[in-house]
Amino acid sequence: MQHCPPEQLALAALREPLPDDDALHLAGCELCRAEVSSLRRAVDAVAVPELAAPGPDVPPPPSVWAGIAAATGVTAAPAGAPAARVDAEPEGARVLPFRTRRRGVLLVAAAAVAGGVLGAGVTALVTGGDQPEAVAAVALDPLTDEQASGRAEVVVRGDGSRALQVQLDAPALEGEYYELWLIEPGVVDMVPLGVLRPGSQTFELPAGLDLGAYPLVDVSVEPLDGDPTHSGVSVARGELDT
Amino acid sequence: MSELLVARPSPPSSVRVVSDVPMAAPPGAVDPTDAEVGRRFAAGDEQALAVAYQRWAGQVHGMAVRAFGPGPDAEDVTQQTFIAAWTGRARFRPEESPLPAWLVGICRHKIADAWGRRERQRREAEAALSQAQAAPVGGTGPGVDSVVADRVLVLDELDRLGQPQRGIIELAFFADLTHAQIAERTGLPLGTVKSHIRRTLERLRSRLEGDGAALPA
Repeated sequence: MQHCPPEQLALAALREPLPDDDALHLAGCELCRAEVSSLRRAVDAVAVPELAAPGPDVPPPPSVWAGIAAATGVTAAPAGAPAARVDAEPEGARVLPFRTRRRGVLLVAAAAVAGGVLGAGVTALVTGGDQPEAVAAVALDPLTDEQASGRAEVVVRGDGSRALQVQLDAPALEGEYYELWLIEPGVVDMVPLGVLRPGSQTFELPAGLDLGAYPLVDVSVEPLDGDPTHSGVSVARGELDT
Repeated sequence: MSELLVARPSPPSSVRVVSDVPMAAPPGAVDPTDAEVGRRFAAGDEQALAVAYQRWAGQVHGMAVRAFGPGPDAEDVTQQTFIAAWTGRARFRPEESPLPAWLVGICRHKIADAWGRRERQRREAEAALSQAQAAPVGGTGPGVDSVVADRVLVLDELDRLGQPQRGIIELAFFADLTHAQIAERTGLPLGTVKSHIRRTLERLRSRLEGDGAALPA
């Protein structure tokens, strides 16, 4: 009787299906089965999900770097909080931390700053009649080292539809463009509103979108790379108080 | 999928056989490429450690959290991973594998080591308990024990493998790829992949059977 080739037994140890004749032989051959079983001990030792290739990123708290710096004596510091990979998730923009163009800033921290300017930036405007009614406005403040700023205003039209009117003061870009986003406070989910250029523009807001759930108005710089997700590079931001 | 895939932005695999990965960063680039960070890390550039942390701590910590849940244990694993990577940087070969893959490999060790410590503590606690009860030590331990010990040995032996053997077996073990998928991913002939897998599993078996016999119970 012809035994299975050694390479096939190794594949069987990895639980790969074998060609029919080898599988048939293996089923009835004690010798080959013993071989598979002895090779499989190493396979099974590490076949636990915890050791598998990395899944979703989890940014560690700042104390972790502090411990590393203390233990290694390294004085260099990360330019910002650890980045999360922007995986190919075509079902929509999902980004975790954000960084500014020069210095990393965890968006949660940036959101706290945005919260700080909230009082100054937001005014509730009410006008009557069929005119679009501004229900909330927010200053878009530049993030660290950035030149962009502006103002965004939520208006409700006579038919109940809503729009975001944006005034952006920012340098013109070459090979990149500005994009406008509404982002939830956890900075995971976001709604892209469209391409933005310096000046005044109006963006339609999706009917039914809960602005309270997506209060951060964010302006990003996007490369012309065909990637629909947020680049992670934010230049101006404000928080709507709705 | 594989940690070998997640290195941003370019290197697709730790199996440095397909050598079309651009290695040179533009001089003075604001954002060094991953390969450049790897080379500087190996050369002992402190800034490279900071950049590596910024880029890959999330990945490493994600693994640690998956193993231990969020909290001090996971944070300790992440911290120990970067400390070990830095102090052991002389063993890192940037031309053979991307830095994030190397970090992930170290993280696996730290996780397995932490499991090993827990297992020892559990056994000690059990032993203390059964002594107190004057009862024979129960039969729950040995199976778990030996897997925990095997795991540390296998990870240790993986460290001793050269490329492309290590990349191949890691794709099989941790990315759950078939030998055909590995051949496709690495550009290596099917027969080469199969024979490397066979030889590596034999090598791991010898290590387990050799060391396993000598392990204290």
